[in-house]
Amino acid sequence: MSLLAILFLVLGLGLISWISARMRASRFVRGVGSDRPHSLPSYHGWYVGLWVTIPALLFLAVWASVSPGLISQAVLATPGAANLPAFGMERAAVLSEARAIATGAVHGGFHAQAASLAPAYRTAIMHYGLIGAAVTLILAFAGGAFAFTKVRSDFRARTRVERLVMGALLIASLIAILTTIGIFGSLVFESWRFFNMVSPLEFLFGTQWSPQTAIRADQVGSSGAFGAVALFWGTIFIGAIIAMIVAIPLGLMSAVYLTQYAKPSTRRWVKPILEILAGVPTVVYGYFAALTVAPALRDFAVMIGISNASSESALAAGIVMGVMIIPFVSSMADDSIAAVPQSMRDGSLAMGATPSETIRKVLLPAALPGVVGGVLLAVSRAIGETMIVVMAAGLAANLTLNPFASVTTVTTQIVQLLTGDQEFESAKTLAAFALGLVLFIVTLLLNIVALRVVKKYREAYD
Amino acid sequence: MTELAAMTPVPTAPKRIPTDWKSDLMQRRIRKRYASERRFRFIGLAAVSLSVAFLAFLLITMIGNGARGFTQTDIRLPVNFAQTSLMLDPTALTGPNAEAALAAANIQGATEEAAVAAFGPDGADYISDGAWLSVRAAIRKDPAILGKTVDIAVPASTHIDIAAKNGADPEIRAAYQKLEATGRLSTGFNLNFLTGSNSNDPTLVGIWGAFKGSLLTMIVTLLLAFPIGVLAALYLEEYAPRNRWTDLIEVSINNLAAVPSIIFGLLGLAVFLNVMHLPRSAALVGGLTLALMTMPVIVIAGRNAIKSVPPSIRDAALGIGASPVQVVFHHVLPLALPGILTGTIIGMARALGETAPLLMIGMRAFIPAPPAGITDPATVLPVQIYLWADEVSRGFVEKTSAAIIVLLVFLLSMNGLAIYLRNKFEQRW
Amino acid sequence: MTTNHKMIARDVSVFYGDKKAIDSVSIDVDMENVTAFIGPSGCGKSTFLRTLNRMNDTISIARVEGTIELDGEDIYASGMDVVQLRARVGMVFQKPNPFPKSIYENVAYGPRIHGLAAGKPEMDQVVEKSLRRAGLWDEVKDRLQDSGTALSGGQQQRLCIARAIAVDPEVILMDEPCSALDPIATAKIEELIHELRGRYAIVIVTHNMQQAARVSQRTAFFHLGTLVEYGETSEIFTNPRQEKTKDYITGRYG
Repeated sequence: MSLLAILFLVLGLGLISWISARMRASRFVRGVGSDRPHSLPSYHGWYVGLWVTIPALLFLAVWASVSPGLISQAVLATPGAANLPAFGMERAAVLSEARAIATGAVHGGFHAQAASLAPAYRTAIMHYGLIGAAVTLILAFAGGAFAFTKVRSDFRARTRVERLVMGALLIASLIAILTTIGIFGSLVFESWRFFNMVSPLEFLFGTQWSPQTAIRADQVGSSGAFGAVALFWGTIFIGAIIAMIVAIPLGLMSAVYLTQYAKPSTRRWVKPILEILAGVPTVVYGYFAALTVAPALRDFAVMIGISNASSESALAAGIVMGVMIIPFVSSMADDSIAAVPQSMRDGSLAMGATPSETIRKVLLPAALPGVVGGVLLAVSRAIGETMIVVMAAGLAANLTLNPFASVTTVTTQIVQLLTGDQEFESAKTLAAFALGLVLFIVTLLLNIVALRVVKKYREAYD
Repeated sequence: MTELAAMTPVPTAPKRIPTDWKSDLMQRRIRKRYASERRFRFIGLAAVSLSVAFLAFLLITMIGNGARGFTQTDIRLPVNFAQTSLMLDPTALTGPNAEAALAAANIQGATEEAAVAAFGPDGADYISDGAWLSVRAAIRKDPAILGKTVDIAVPASTHIDIAAKNGADPEIRAAYQKLEATGRLSTGFNLNFLTGSNSNDPTLVGIWGAFKGSLLTMIVTLLLAFPIGVLAALYLEEYAPRNRWTDLIEVSINNLAAVPSIIFGLLGLAVFLNVMHLPRSAALVGGLTLALMTMPVIVIAGRNAIKSVPPSIRDAALGIGASPVQVVFHHVLPLALPGILTGTIIGMARALGETAPLLMIGMRAFIPAPPAGITDPATVLPVQIYLWADEVSRGFVEKTSAAIIVLLVFLLSMNGLAIYLRNKFEQRW
Repeated sequence: MTTNHKMIARDVSVFYGDKKAIDSVSIDVDMENVTAFIGPSGCGKSTFLRTLNRMNDTISIARVEGTIELDGEDIYASGMDVVQLRARVGMVFQKPNPFPKSIYENVAYGPRIHGLAAGKPEMDQVVEKSLRRAGLWDEVKDRLQDSGTALSGGQQQRLCIARAIAVDPEVILMDEPCSALDPIATAKIEELIHELRGRYAIVIVTHNMQQAARVSQRTAFFHLGTLVEYGETSEIFTNPRQEKTKDYITGRYG
């Protein structure tokens, strides 16, 4: 029996038990006062239904992850498996092929042995499938029977069901913590393995980046260099300098214009348009940067006499990234300006200040902490942005101040290191996790500082 | 009040000399201030215009390039089956072994021969590498055409296609004009682009495979992120005790919402692929990864929506004896649902446009057929765009832009729906 | 029309969209005089006050009809410069609203934007003079660089008055300047209004009748957007001509 069939069977049983328990409970005498049944019939239904489904489904989940291992053990124990090749790759290939034949996914095998192992597979799958189905159904019935006997007039089914609901709520919110732990744990673990091969000092302060390590042990001359300084510089150059030079003035002035000058009708139209700018996927920006902006900038650079202009320039990636960030800066600035009390604005206007003097000398200084927080968040977003730089920034790790030259970034290199055909254990792939760890920590710190600044600022005016 | 009294005598002259606002100096100054006011206002307007202009430029570029991706030039290729080297017996194509017979026949060779026969020695270059597929389909439909001479519409090669859309080298233009003169060229809507999958030949590619991958991935994401996100939001907003654990959960969620997406890709690679050994490149893993990324967005939107339900409604429900769980599920959740849905749509739109984390878990494979299930190797629209953007062949430029148009249409309609919902259900208590 | 009046309002009506907030109010404001506007809340006294220096311009749906003259010039005429008008007709708000800058910068803000002081020594003088007139100098002279928001409520309000004085206005409008302050701070502000009276025309909106009686020479009573009675303060409080005024003053409503 397939997993899916059992799943539906259990759910069907759950539905039946829900209905029958509900019917049974609805026949309770409708007393008054303390004689009244504690819970509504549907709560009894839920109580029984959940007892039928949850233990059974939990078992099914565990079984689904355990049984493939048990099946292959059983197959390996058969005499036919004795002369399997000991070498890892081929052995695994034969086994997976045999499994595919047994489940009917393919008809003919590449390895002759696979076909001979297929019957063994088929019996093992059948065997463990039956065990799994039987235990699941027994659990469902046992749970149902246990719960059904409890359905009495004075049984507090609602309390029990609600306790379970609370449990589900708690588990759902714990997933956020688990994800954080998962991210941090996996990054730290893989980075630790990387730092066993490459010294952290070399990684953090070395200026030589050429991650091509030997694929075979006997290859010479390609031990790889993992000095990431040029990557860090490229990331800062594109994300924190060029992109911000574009995004801060445009975003801030857009927010100022829309909040202070624009007619409400204009504002109603322009704001969603800016939000569209934020909703365009990054891969589209990347394509646009690579296809349109970068060649135009290169031609421009050549025209003004910069001979070594690259077609994958830091400038192209930075400008397009800046445009992507505009709505973000603009909405943060919008919020910050809106948080400055109206009385400040009135106070300044009542002194005879013009609107622009009021904005420049009172509103913006008062909103500054909020704007700074927003800019920090924008920087954190820009340095973590991947697709634009992957498609438009290039791969050469240059330590350069020339915006027309090609630079590479942390995220570009992560993609580059992990998308080739590489063994997972090599320093090259593990380096991606070390870069990821640096990126994670830096963005985390930026976010914490930014949120603290913004929060403090909000409190100042509340 | 002695202190105050001591201050009262004003040190300066008792009669004030009023500021002369009409003096030349003052008038000049005020003109300068108004000029700077106008300048400032203009800079603001310029900033808004520039941002909007950039969006317009981006969209126009994409539409300009992409519109051609939806059309395809076809050649009506005269095929005289009798004169080709095709060894295929029409009777073999009616029996049960028809597929095997078709597979064994060299239809590709025969197609190229027909092209050479029709258009001269360069003829094979005029038709797409996949032209024989159309011929095969024609034979399958009506085996009787074998032995006759028939016109079969086949896709033109990329060069001819581009030339037909006005943008090729002079050499190819010459070939194109020669073909055009035969009256066998026609440019029409490229249905294959919507129904096909990836291919090496830009004339044969389609987005259905990637689109289906996106669809499967989004289903997995939605099924996981929505319930978990809503439940977590309910817990944090309605039940969570104020303690260190709750703070930890809140900090986690706020930070997850700001973690770069590529980090989620690394998590997916390290945990789902290397620890849990889930299938590589599959929509299941992509959906799981994106669900972890989307969940915080839904939680934050959900909490804001729940927070905006006024406490009086909770008090009213509690007052008539509802349990806390009943209060939340019968009253608070239905009222907060539009807000939660808006946040969910926005989160899903972001997930739909996401590329980087999916590259990490290997959803960048060449997928020539649409995935059948969530464990099959698949790719998604944004990754497909990324892969096509890397192709050298010029024919891919318009296909990439066309795929971008499709993606943008979906994203914009999702965002539009979210804005519509927000405006329709926005309630002020 | 006597030239003695500093400001003359004739048949002034204010509309918010379609709603009429002020209906045909005529009032004169004189130099070296304190004029109090009293009335129940929502009667339009603050709205009318804001028309006197065109602060209603900042509300896009507000519309003013009628004429208001300052020294014989129509302030709603197209030739009138609103920036200069507001420098000549200063305003102090209900809630103290010092800018989040230093005490010095708060006071120096107005003279700086209007170019009323050339150079630092002159600005120092203006700041000191204004703070002295506002009765705040002795309390803050040692900490002029501290933030204006760090002062107590009463000090903040006096800072706002100093800020208004610094641009050398002719009229000072005060919109319930004491409503957010405690009694001691209120007494200080009232004392200050008394001091300032000799140099400016002061208009004060208050919901506190005792305050109006204490500080003003003339009183206007507003009710539901209309001016019910306007005259000498002593007259209004001891011998009101209108029944409504009498009811309000004796505490029947409000």
